[in-house]
Amino acid sequence: MDKINDLWLASGIYNLQAGQFVMLVVGLLLLYLAINKKFEPLLLVPIGFGGILANIPEAGLAFSAVENAVHFAKPEVMSALASVLGITSTEPHSILEAYHTSSASVHSSTVLAAMDGGYANGMLYNFYNVSIASGAAPLIIFMGVGAMTDFGPLLANPKTLFLGAAAQFGIFATVLGAVGLTSLGIMDFSIQDAAAIGIIGGADGPTAIYVASLLSPHLLGAIAVAAYSYMALVPLIQPPIMRALTTEAERKITMVQLRQVSKLEKIIFPIVLLLLVAMLLPDAAPLLGMFCFGNLLRECGVVDRLSDTAQNALINIVTIFLGLSVGSKLSADKFLDLTTLGILVLGIIAFCIGTAMGVLMAKLLNKIEGGNAINPLIGSAGVSAVPMAARVSNKLGLEANPQNFLLMHAMGPNVAGVIGSAVAAGVMIKFVG
Amino acid sequence: MEESLISQGLSLMVFGMGFVFVFLTLLVGVTSLMSKLVTKYAPAVTPTPKKRRPSAAVSAKANNDEVVAVITAAVHQYRS
Repeated sequence: MDKINDLWLASGIYNLQAGQFVMLVVGLLLLYLAINKKFEPLLLVPIGFGGILANIPEAGLAFSAVENAVHFAKPEVMSALASVLGITSTEPHSILEAYHTSSASVHSSTVLAAMDGGYANGMLYNFYNVSIASGAAPLIIFMGVGAMTDFGPLLANPKTLFLGAAAQFGIFATVLGAVGLTSLGIMDFSIQDAAAIGIIGGADGPTAIYVASLLSPHLLGAIAVAAYSYMALVPLIQPPIMRALTTEAERKITMVQLRQVSKLEKIIFPIVLLLLVAMLLPDAAPLLGMFCFGNLLRECGVVDRLSDTAQNALINIVTIFLGLSVGSKLSADKFLDLTTLGILVLGIIAFCIGTAMGVLMAKLLNKIEGGNAINPLIGSAGVSAVPMAARVSNKLGLEANPQNFLLMHAMGPNVAGVIGSAVAAGVMIKFVG
Repeated sequence: MEESLISQGLSLMVFGMGFVFVFLTLLVGVTSLMSKLVTKYAPAVTPTPKKRRPSAAVSAKANNDEVVAVITAAVHQYRS
C-alpha cells in the first residue's frame, strides 16, 4: 500500500500545478498553430514541444541541478547548498536568490554541491546552455540564412537598402514604447529589456534570439515566441497597412527589369559588407560575420559541399536544438505574467511601424526618382521576414495589376532588412549591453 | 530615474536609427562603386555564351550544307 502511495505522490497528476497546466495548454496551442495552421512549423513544432517537456511536473527538464535540488528540498542537501553559498537560511527562496546573485566561483561550487546530492541538470537546460547561452545556435542559423540568400536583386538596385533601413524604425519606436510603459508604471522593463523587445520588430528570429540572450535572457521565451508568431502572421498583418498607405495608381507602378549581376560582384559583396562592419560596428560582427561567411560559401562556387551543409543539414540540426531550448524558457514561472502580454503587444506594434515606415520610405524614393520608378509596395519587405514579406508585396502588386511581378524587386529590400536588423542589433548591444 | 530611462530610450532611438541609416548609406555607396569597378575592369563573362550561339548556328548551317550535298549527289546518282 505504501508503494502505491509513493507512486501516486510521484505522479504527474498529483504534482501538476495550475501554472504548469496552463503552459501545457500553451505548448499544445503552439503545436496546433504549427501543424494545422502552418505557422512557421519548422520552429514552432520544436518550441511547442519543448514547452510541453519543460512543464512536465517533477521532471525538471528545464532546470539546473541546483534548481532541481531546491525543488525536492531534502534537508541535508539544502544545508550543504546553504553552507557553500555562505548563508544561514535553508529556505528554498533565499537559496535560489543567493545562487542567482553569486559570483562565478561560488556559482560553480554550488552546482557541484547539488550534483553531490544526486541532482543533475535537466536535459533542456543543457540544450539551452550549449545552443543559446553560448550564442552558438542563432549564429549558425544566421550562417545558413547567409548561404540561402541571393544578393543579386539588392546588387542590381542598391537603393533598396534604404527601405531596409527605414523599416528598422519599428525597432527603435518600440524601445521607446517599452520605456514609456515603464515610466507610466504599467510595466517594469529595464532599458536592456526594452531593446530586446524592440528587436522583435526586426522580424528576424535568430537576431531576436541572439539579442535577447545577451541583453535579457529572462524574457527570451516570450520574445522568441512573439518574433516567430508574428513572422508567420506577416501575410495578415502587412496588407491592410500597405493598402492604407498607398494609392491605387502607386500600386500599379511596374518596375523595370533588374540588370544582370555578375558572379564577381556577388563574390565581392559579402567581403565588402564584412569589411564595413569590421571598420564601423564590431558589435554586429558575430551576426553579420557569420551571415557574410555563409553567403561567401554560396557565391564563391568552389565549396559547394560546405554551402550545401550550411543551408540544409546544419541549419536543420541547429534549428531542432534552438527550438527545444527556446521551449525550455516557456516554464510557467517565467512566461505567465503581465510582461509576456506586454511583449506580445509591443512586438506587434514594432512590426506595424516597421512595415509602415518601409512603405513611406519607398514612396519618398519614388518621388525622388520621378514618380514612376519604384512601387511603394516593395517597401514593406524591408522588415526582413525573408521571403514571406517579399511574397506579400508580390501578391498585392498582382492584385493591382495582374501583369506586375514584384517578387524579385521586393527581394532587394527583403535582404536589406536582414542586414538592417543585424546592424540595429549591433547598435543595441553596443549601447545597452 | 524614470526620466533618465526615457531619455536613454530616446537617445537609443536617435543614435540607433541614425547609425543604421549612416551604415546602409555607406553600404549603398560602396556597393555601387564596387559594381561600377567590376563592370569596368572585369566585364561580365556573358559574351562567351553569346559567341557560342552563332557558332552552333554555323555548325547547323554546315550540317545543312552537308545534307544538301548528300541529297544532291543521291539525286544525281538516281537520275543518272
